[in-house]
Order: sequence, then C-alpha cells, then structure tokens
Amino acid sequence: MRTLIIGAGQAGRRTAELLRGLDAEREILLLGEETEPPYDRPPLSKEILLGEERPRGLMQRDAKAYADQRIALRLGERVARVDLKSSRVETEAGLHIPYDSLVIATGARARSLLVPGANDPRILTLRSMADARALRAQLRPGLRLAVAGAGLIGLEVAAAAIQCDCMVTVIEMGERAMARCVPKEVSDQIEGWHRAAGVALEFGCRLAVVNPEKDALRLATSRGEFEADLLLVAVGAVPNSELAYEAGLAVDDGILVDASGRSSHPTVFAAGEVARIRQSCGRHVRFETWQVAQHQPSAVASALCGIDKPYSELPWHWTDQYKHNVQILGAHDAGLEWLCREDGGRLAYLGVDSEGRVRGAILIDNGRETTPVKRIIASGTAMSRGVLRDPATPLRQLC
Amino acid sequence: MMAWHDVAREGEFEPDVPKVIQVGDDRIAVFRLEDGYYAISDICTHEYALLSDGFCEGGKVECPLHQACFDIRTGKALDEPAEVDLATYPTRVEGGVVQFQL
Ligand SMILES: Cc1cc2nc3c(=O)[nH]c(=O)nc-3n(C[C@H](O)[C@H](O)[C@H](O)COP(=O)(O)OP(=O)(O)OC[C@H]3O[C@@H](n4cnc5c(N)ncnc54)[C@H](O)[C@@H]3O)c2cc1C
Ligand code: FES
Repeated sequence: MRTLIIGAGQAGRRTAELLRGLDAEREILLLGEETEPPYDRPPLSKEILLGEERPRGLMQRDAKAYADQRIALRLGERVARVDLKSSRVETEAGLHIPYDSLVIATGARARSLLVPGANDPRILTLRSMADARALRAQLRPGLRLAVAGAGLIGLEVAAAAIQCDCMVTVIEMGERAMARCVPKEVSDQIEGWHRAAGVALEFGCRLAVVNPEKDALRLATSRGEFEADLLLVAVGAVPNSELAYEAGLAVDDGILVDASGRSSHPTVFAAGEVARIRQSCGRHVRFETWQVAQHQPSAVASALCGIDKPYSELPWHWTDQYKHNVQILGAHDAGLEWLCREDGGRLAYLGVDSEGRVRGAILIDNGRETTPVKRIIASGTAMSRGVLRDPATPLRQLC
Repeated sequence: MMAWHDVAREGEFEPDVPKVIQVGDDRIAVFRLEDGYYAISDICTHEYALLSDGFCEGGKVECPLHQACFDIRTGKALDEPAEVDLATYPTRVEGGVVQFQL
C-alpha cells in the first residue's frame, strides 16, 4: 500500500514521520518542489536574516534520516496534476505515480503585490529558504528597505533588518501593527519596540504604484512618495490549493477537510496550512501557523491508519521580534474585552467575553503562562475580572 | 575537574520553582520533585530560552518560547520543536545543602 504526500514542507514531513510511526509496512513517498529537505519556516524571518546559516529551529534532517525511516523523499519534483479517477499524480517532468491514499500538504505562497511596476527584481517576498537567503544577501548597513505589510512576517523582517543597520520603513494600509491577530493595546506595545529601534511605521498608507528607477524604487502611496533600494512584500499568504481544485475536490480558500483531514474524496487528505479545517461549530478555518503544520498531521496519519483522532487544538502561534516573544492564543474577535495583567516585564492580555469567560490571550515575554491560560480558555468557566487582572493570584491557580 | 556546587538549603526550595546556578558558561536549573532533587541545563536545546522561565508540572518543564517539553529527571526532549536532550547533573544533599556535580 502506498501513501503519496505532495509537499515536502513541515506538514509533509510530519505526516510522513507520524505515519511511519503508526505503520511499519506501508510505502511512504514524500514529493516536494523545493530542492531542500523539509524544514520549519519560522527561522527564515528571524535567525537566517540575522546571519545564522543553519539555525536549529529549522528542524532540518538530512536525506539519510529519511532513508532510515524508509520514507522515499523526492525533491525538486513539482506535481502538476492529480487524477482522482485513476488514483495517480502526474509530475511536471511527466512521471505518473499511482497511490492508494494521497495527502496534499502544499502549504501556501506569499501573496504578490498587484500594483503597476511590481515585477522589478528589487521587489521580494519571503516564504522559502531560497527567498530568505536572497533577502539576507541584500541586507547591509544603510540599505533603504521598505516593507509592505505590518503583519507577523513584515514586522519580523523589519526587526531583523534594523538590527543589520538598514533604514527600514513599514508601509501598512491598516491602522496598526498585526491588526489581524492582536488587540490595539498589544499593537501599541509592538509598535513601540519598532519605533524605539528606529523603524519608521506608516499606517493608513496604501501602496499604489511602484516606479522602478535606476537608482531607487519610487513608491507612490496614499501618503506621499517613498524611496527605497529594496521592497519586501509581506501582505499575506495564498493557499496552494489549485491542484486540489483542478482535481475536483471541494476548495474554498484552502482544501476543505474534516477534523481528521479528510477532503471531499475518501482517499485524499490535506495537511497543514493548505487545509481549511472544519471546527466543532461547523465553520471551516485555515491556520497559517507552525502549530497546525506540526500537530494536525497527527490526525491525518491516524485517519490513514483507520484511527479516529480529530484535530481540535486551541489555536496558538508566536512571533519573536527583537528580544521579545509574543504568544497568541485562542480567539481575538472584536467583541472581547481585554484585561491586562502585568508582572514585572511579563504581560498577559486576557480577552474576556460578556459572560466573563476567557476566550483568547496574548502573552508577552510570559511563555510560562501559556499552559495555564490554555487550560483556563478550555475550561470555559466565567471568572471575575478582578481576579483575572490581579498578578498576585498565579494563573496556574485559576485553572 | 568535576566539583560539587552548592545550590541552596533544602528548606528554601518550592515545588515546581527551580533554583538557577551559573558555573562558568553553564547555567544549571535545580528542581525539587517528590522523589528528590534534579539538576538539568537551563538552556533549551531548540533555540535560546531559559527553561527556568518556563512552566513546570508533573516532573516536566516546558520551554517558555515555543513550548518544547523536557523530562526533568532524565533531561529527555519529549516533544518537538526540541529534539536534543538536556544535559543532566548528579545531585546530593550535604548537611542540609543541595548540591550538584559539574
Ligand atoms: C517566513 C515565515 C515565518 C514564520 N514564522 C512563524 C512563527 O514565528 N510562528 C508560527 O507559528 N508560524 C510561523 N510561520 C508559519 C508556518 O511556518 C507555516 O504555517 C508552516 O510552514 C506551514 O507548513 P506547511 O507544511 O503546511 O507548508 P510549507 O512549509 O509551505 O510546505 C509546503 C511545501 O509544499 C511544496 N509544494 C507546493 N506545491 C507543490 C507541488 N505542486 N508539488 C510539489 N511540492 C509542492 C512547497 O514548495 C513547500 O515546500 C512562518 C511562516 C513563514 C513563511
Ligand atoms: S527555544 Fe525552547 S522551544 Fe524553542
């Protein structure tokens, strides 16, 4: 029996390894477009840009580690088509590979800028190791770097670049930093770190046209013109779900799957960031996090072996900027009231709903509270705002 | 040369709160668990974080940065993103003072 996994990224590797752990016999084929063996992406916008060659956080194993696990790893192979009827995939090189079960773990790609002038070679995005090396090679003291997008990746790049003595301007259409996943109080904190380091933050600023000139890129925005030597575009990610869509699977901003990773076809699964996963409330959600690429494959590998182990973790992700670690847990919808609890430099923002239940949290330099906060959110019990705010009562006593 | 280093008096330990001692470049975290004292390296093997800033329960300590989990008794990395085990050090109690060997 052969399981074919398309996409040799974090979720592809995890699916392969977990599947091997559950089933010693099955043939496992892991096919990836990149020429690098699978790696975790978080260091690309952090350590790699600061000049570390092989940060441990890449979790990259060599080819031998795959051979030892009897995982057939084929790199530099892009899958062009999936044929559900004949249970075969076709690679761009023209190979036809049959499978018994298929896992699509193709991740996402950086969204490109749709403005005139956006195809200049001085305009970069950041998704892969190759992208990170190309960006790193450009960072030098005095470089005028413009970053489009004040989300997690844009801000991590800004932080790394200013530490390389670049002159950094972040251009963001919205009104604040990381607005998609943190409340205003936390945006204020994060913006403070960047301004203190010398990063110029331009909010409410829409990039309209890029005029590539010989000596500089001239960026025409709703707030005037900026000059830059390099423009890094970090305006979100688009799931690589075209293969699935063209094969006829149910796709809507990601491959629609149940909590076990099963798609609309019984022998096809999706793992990691490309999957849009059905939640217990019935909605489908797609997560762009290390967590989902790490742990949702466990549900997929189990389902492939006939074991029901639905994925239902509380959403969690982090960002590291300067010396700060920010962890983002659970919900951050608009209706929540955010309470701040401060203990020295450690901060916990707790998002409380109208019934007094904690639904989400942001922890700043305070990772020791992650597990207690996860438990408090999972418990769903109403708590008094006074107790939640009071740093004298440890959160671990409340869960 | 291996030597025994003082950590603190037995009565000064609280459960799940390690004491940290720096010896040269090494930072050692010493925990009191139900069955005795355990000394491990305080630096996560994933990236750079102090495990003594992490959450500790049931003989395990969780890294505060990316939540890798380690067994305090054996130093074993229990969960990715860490894969490399922590160094562990022998401990003893001499005249009411907890010590570890390095
Ligand atoms: C720069 C950066 C920093 C990040 N930092 C953090 C962080 O600090 N914290 C956090 O929680 N998350 C972070 N993330 C998010 C996290 O890394 C991703 O969500 C995770 O990588 C998703 O893993 P995946 O395996 O689903 O996708 P990927 O890792 O993208 O793997 C998909 C693979 O499939 C390949 N592929 C695609 N199409 C085909 C095809 N047709 N044929 C063959 N192969 C194909 C791709 O080339 C790729 O190698 C970051 C992401 C990036 C890009
Ligand atoms: S530094 Fe400890 S888990 Fe990443």
